[in-house]
Amino acid sequence: MSDSDNNLTLTLRVWRQDNSETKGKFADYKISRISPHMSFLEMLDILNEQLIAQGDEPVAFDHDCREGICGTCSLMINGQAHGPDKETTTCQLHMRRFKNGDTVVIEPWRANAFPVVKDLVVDRTALDRIIEAGGYISVNTGQAQDGNCLPIPRQDQSSSMDAAACIGCGACVAACKNASAMLFTSAKVSHLAQLPQGDPERPQRVLNMVAQMDAEGFGGCSNTYECEAACPAGVSIEHIARLNREYVKASFCSSATAAEPIQAGE
Amino acid sequence: MNWLTGFLKSSVGRKFVMAFTGLFLCFFLVVHLAGNLMLYIGGEAYNNYAHKLHSNEEFLLIAEVLLFSAFALHIALAFTTTLENFRARKKSYKLVETKRDDRTMPLSASTDYTMMITGMIGLFFLVWHISDFKLEFGWEALLEGQNPAQKVGVILANWSRVLIYTLGSVAFGIHVSHGLASACQTIGFNHPKYTPAINVISKVFGVIVAVGFSSFPILANMYPDLLNFSGVVTNSH
Repeated sequence: MSDSDNNLTLTLRVWRQDNSETKGKFADYKISRISPHMSFLEMLDILNEQLIAQGDEPVAFDHDCREGICGTCSLMINGQAHGPDKETTTCQLHMRRFKNGDTVVIEPWRANAFPVVKDLVVDRTALDRIIEAGGYISVNTGQAQDGNCLPIPRQDQSSSMDAAACIGCGACVAACKNASAMLFTSAKVSHLAQLPQGDPERPQRVLNMVAQMDAEGFGGCSNTYECEAACPAGVSIEHIARLNREYVKASFCSSATAAEPIQAGE
Repeated sequence: MNWLTGFLKSSVGRKFVMAFTGLFLCFFLVVHLAGNLMLYIGGEAYNNYAHKLHSNEEFLLIAEVLLFSAFALHIALAFTTTLENFRARKKSYKLVETKRDDRTMPLSASTDYTMMITGMIGLFFLVWHISDFKLEFGWEALLEGQNPAQKVGVILANWSRVLIYTLGSVAFGIHVSHGLASACQTIGFNHPKYTPAINVISKVFGVIVAVGFSSFPILANMYPDLLNFSGVVTNSH
């Protein structure tokens, strides 16, 4: 049996929007001869070649490494962030997950804090500003330190690494009914809160990052845990609980106060 | 005091107050249900309990002020945060599907997605409940000279109250089945050893609240012999 026997014909319902000022609408495209071995983004490449050949504007979408590690790709596919697979980015989603004749609805991440740049591309710099608000960490410079001088419990090291796995794609915001960035922010806070490196800035960091998160216009957390299920890096909601603890502790038991939020374009 | 207003204005701080008041109100539900269960022991036991509770007026005043403040804060924060959360996504999706495997209900009917609805039904019930039992508004003639257990019998004999009280109890049960575990997460209590147990306890607590409180209006009418209202005088319908 040749591969072509399994090829798919799909109807794509894609969000088209010129820029953040215009309204935008869905457009339907018929696409055929899609190999089940293709990735979702390769399928969109084929669509764009087809559109260009017809003299139409290609669909703008974010992508970079296409290896599932950079966090650049996005897309709400049939109402699910990064599509139906668990712990998988859109670039690692394969067309074999779809059936011949399916209609696939493709939308951009939707949140006030993520304005649409064009079609499926959204501006996620709000997440960068949250990281920026976190500031620097103090480390000893000079001669490399003996690693064994800094004993870290196995569980803390492992949990910190799990939080650091966040690739900042924004799927947590996209999947949350409140467009909350709590899973993202908590991953960034939790990553450093469990390590001796950066401990001097620990209370300041969480206060600044939460203040920045609120200023960006993300919603609050109502513990529906859709973020955790949508996260391609498998970041756990236990980091959100740690952020809550860190925030209360920093507010009441430290002398630090939150800095003024960073403005976009600063 | 900028730090304190900053905390109380932040999303995390407000959720913390929401969770803290919620946990306090859960504790109140336990105490309230324990008192109500006296009715199953007998009208005498219930009257004794009511008498002891009301004989310490100072305690009652403080308890009522605390309770009212907790309710007021919890409700006010619920409306403001829900509105804000709703506004955080002006343009909604055409299609939304869950990626959680453990959901048994469609999203729009899940306990976590319906907190506002169950809370509002609970609030509607609460207004009637306080009006009936605390203020005895509209019941003055019927409740004249009756003891507490008899008053329960009179009020719960009214079919509209059976409906409202059952609805309110079930709404509160659904509300706390998500609320208890959610509050623990919000105050930062998430632990690999305890969280699985908390999630189960939260669901069991929801069932206890729903079944426990709704049993009174239902049983009072279906099996009047079971609830000993000691010579209760009910209105004819």
